[in-house]
Amino acid sequence: MIKHTMDRRDFLRVLGISGAAATLAGCGNTAIESGVEEVMSYVHPQDFVVPGIGVFYASTCTQCGSGCGIMGKVREGRVLKLEGNPESGISGGKICGLGQAAVQAHYNPDRLHTPMLNMDGGLVPISWDRASQILDERLGAKSSLQGDQIAFLSGGMSGHQRVLLENFLDSYGSKQHVCYDALSDATGRAATKAVLGTEQPLWDLSKSRLILSFGSDFLGNGVSPVYMAREFAKFRKAPRGTLIQIEPRMTLTGGNADRWYPIKPGTEGILALGIAHDLLQHPEFSGSVPQEVLDLVKNYDRETVSDITGIGADSVRLIAAQLWNNSPSLVVAGPAVYGHAYGFSNMAAVQLLNIILGNRGKTLQGQAEHPFPQMTPTPGTYRALAELTQKMQSGQCQALLITGTNPVFTSPSQLAFSEAMKKVPFKVAMVTHLDETAGQCDLVLPLLSAMEDFGTHVADYQPEGVEVLIQQPLMEKLYPDTRGFGDILLDVLRKRKADYAAFPDYYSYLKAAVVKAKPVFQSEESDDRFWETALMKGVIKWQGKTTALEAKLGALEVPNPRELSTDYPFYFIPSIRPDMRDGRHAHLPWLQESPETMTTIVWDSWVEIHPKTAAEMQIKEGDVLVLQSATGSIQAKAYLFPGIQPDTVSMPLGQGHTQMGRYATGVGANPYKIMDAVFDAHTGELALHATRVAIRKTGDNQMVVKDEGPTNVQHGQKLVATLSADQARLSQEI
Amino acid sequence: MSLSNLIQNWQMFRTRRPYEDQYKDAPYKWAMVIDLDTCIGCNACTVACYAENNLAVVGKERFGKGQAMHWIRIERYWGEGEEMKTDFPERGAQYLPMLCQQCEAAPCEPVCPVGATHHSADGLNTQVYNRCVGSRYCSANCPYKVRYFNWWNYPERAWPNPLELQLNPDVTVRSKGVMEKCTFCMQRLRAGMDKAKTDGRILADGEVLTACAQACPTSAITFGNLADKKSKVARMWKKQQVDLAKNVQDKTEEGIRGYRVLEELNTYPSIVYLERLRNFAA
Repeated sequence: MIKHTMDRRDFLRVLGISGAAATLAGCGNTAIESGVEEVMSYVHPQDFVVPGIGVFYASTCTQCGSGCGIMGKVREGRVLKLEGNPESGISGGKICGLGQAAVQAHYNPDRLHTPMLNMDGGLVPISWDRASQILDERLGAKSSLQGDQIAFLSGGMSGHQRVLLENFLDSYGSKQHVCYDALSDATGRAATKAVLGTEQPLWDLSKSRLILSFGSDFLGNGVSPVYMAREFAKFRKAPRGTLIQIEPRMTLTGGNADRWYPIKPGTEGILALGIAHDLLQHPEFSGSVPQEVLDLVKNYDRETVSDITGIGADSVRLIAAQLWNNSPSLVVAGPAVYGHAYGFSNMAAVQLLNIILGNRGKTLQGQAEHPFPQMTPTPGTYRALAELTQKMQSGQCQALLITGTNPVFTSPSQLAFSEAMKKVPFKVAMVTHLDETAGQCDLVLPLLSAMEDFGTHVADYQPEGVEVLIQQPLMEKLYPDTRGFGDILLDVLRKRKADYAAFPDYYSYLKAAVVKAKPVFQSEESDDRFWETALMKGVIKWQGKTTALEAKLGALEVPNPRELSTDYPFYFIPSIRPDMRDGRHAHLPWLQESPETMTTIVWDSWVEIHPKTAAEMQIKEGDVLVLQSATGSIQAKAYLFPGIQPDTVSMPLGQGHTQMGRYATGVGANPYKIMDAVFDAHTGELALHATRVAIRKTGDNQMVVKDEGPTNVQHGQKLVATLSADQARLSQEI
Repeated sequence: MSLSNLIQNWQMFRTRRPYEDQYKDAPYKWAMVIDLDTCIGCNACTVACYAENNLAVVGKERFGKGQAMHWIRIERYWGEGEEMKTDFPERGAQYLPMLCQQCEAAPCEPVCPVGATHHSADGLNTQVYNRCVGSRYCSANCPYKVRYFNWWNYPERAWPNPLELQLNPDVTVRSKGVMEKCTFCMQRLRAGMDKAKTDGRILADGEVLTACAQACPTSAITFGNLADKKSKVARMWKKQQVDLAKNVQDKTEEGIRGYRVLEELNTYPSIVYLERLRNFAA
């Protein structure tokens, strides 16, 4: 048993408790016992563990940042299947396909299970003793690294992992926690904050009578798809709400729309101003609208808007009229809106509609303030990666630690991240799979899988108050030489800071931290009971109050869409697959074989092109096309897809891996590598929807492997029947 | 098996089932309702099925030959009628979760030369793997195309170590030459029914769910016991005026939206779909 004393302020900082929580947590403990707890193994089974009978343990899904509560079915010491945890306010007992596939990340045959060291240009397996020795030499107590010489590059990260990571950097005096997300929504968030005063407001789908979505795929890969799907189901019950979706390429959510409009990419902001123009004609607004808003919309009458966006003038009128007649409504937007050089102003224009329609306080609320601000998720941005790359180039960065992100694969080629990595003398990756970035590191450390590790998480989108989500191992580790992320950091930290000597492992740290936060949750249970309840339920809840939204008009400006050029006559839209995301899940065979819903294609990349455009260019399904952007070119098969704007072609992200195991490699192509260097003017974020391409046929034709048969219409049979919503009697249904 | 035998078998079968009140005294008759207005096409059900039922991942080449093993799949259609009438899918896509319809008069059953395809007492269309000789007549006769044949010995290749540790011990891993299909998660039903029997009761409504219904984020899939008149699924069938034993439904109420896919083929499916809704004024 190790006892250690530290002062209260240090203690709270170590455990990630600050702000409101620090003032609430006033119980005055100055020392704790730790390291006395043990996770029971199956060698000493609990009474309720019976061979042949599955037992469920609560945990938290880490496949995306939504923070769904899950339950793992464990039998004979193996985790077999994941279900949703009914205790979770986010998942409510439900789970998506991506979440289900977490067990395949855990049992993946290509898991990394030994540390690797780069020797003479290649990675070779080494022992943990050797790996620890290297870590100690470079990062330990005698390390000469100071300040921003050391950087930690991660994906979005929350909970105590984030706290520990930042404390780790703090021990060098470094502030370089760099969060990178290849699908960053930072521009959208910044614009929403500039207009509504908060980055990610809560949406009340079920209360909305009409949802107008500009390219937001909230059911597929938005901020919390399982929660949104649950709410969407309520929205579809009596009195059934209407979904209007406007986007250049039909997303999963678009497929559920009552009315779907294809729009010229990037003109969404102009359409929003046009709708605002129409709405402001209502006499209710006369004299009360600020001049800046009137100036903003004055040039955007229906005809002008129709010319720019490709949406008919009548449709603009109809959309505005329906928004007016179906209150409260909700206007939302996704990457198609903010993924442009003027993405910020596009997004701001969309949010203006919410203000005009009076949706604030009805279908839009501010999220509750989190009592543990240090645990909230760090949103990943492109800009952070770009700044880090510069520091790497200039030799400022002497040591780089990487986890949870794969920039060598996802960063656009013009960033030259891969080249910059060569300038960093010491690069450490902590991964479960050897991906493209880890492949270029000096030391690669094998992590426990999400099914084997402890952790806490805080979701980006917290629909019901505030939840601290608990992740616990669902089974013993598969490979003896894998280690937890927290354990690796603690091993180094203990040598640098006496504060951490009290924690022999991440489990003891986590338990101490969670128990320490007990007063915030106003629990009267004993410490042990509180911890056990947290593990049992998988979530600790706190009733926060939603906050009010603002209405700031200063950030509004006219978006300035760019026309197509003759050299590059097509808009290029990368689509985000709900299961592959930025490509981090391409190594999961269930997901590779799961047909992408809109096209039903499996195990591949493809180019979606409208049948009319294809006919003009004499392109058939399976024709291998070269897409040439100003930055580079890429090859993929054509798929004729009616849900796309005719001047636009689209390719899914996530494929084209050269590393990451047998299921990921050799599948499709990587569209990140042809992204043009276009950045949002306000945030500096990479504009993912701003690339333009030319199309060339190679003359080759290959079979498109897909689930749909030779036809995609119903041939007059009653397979999927559709009834007019006004004829249904939903309120009488069971 | 001669053709005349086949036809005679078929006729015997046709006159035997289904009939009115067939499950009146039975404890269980498993059935489903799938609401196509809340199904969002997200594929949570299909992946859940892979996890629960040890479905083999076959890879791109075999998928391309039509050898995929997905017991439930999301079919996606554009428009109704013979062709798509507009340039763009203005009313969204049509998603159809397609799985074995557990037909009461299943076309797959009478053609099996060895009785591997049979009807269980609780109304399931089951496949007995160790009787199956791989004639594939059943698959040829299935109008829904939801029977899947093991063209390869997947236990040897589909779960490279340690992926096989994920396999559900309650479900057989099928080997080469065997037909397989959706079982309505029979292993879950079996365990639940056995437990209920020990307790001297029948299963409560919602006590056992299929993997697809449990995962479905929008709860579009309702699963339950049609023999229990109070179960949600039975009440939904009744409200939608769909009678298990009829091939032409007697619909008197307006605005109801329950139908069975390809009902006109006299298959008497156990799955009712609720029509997708669209606000055509939008």
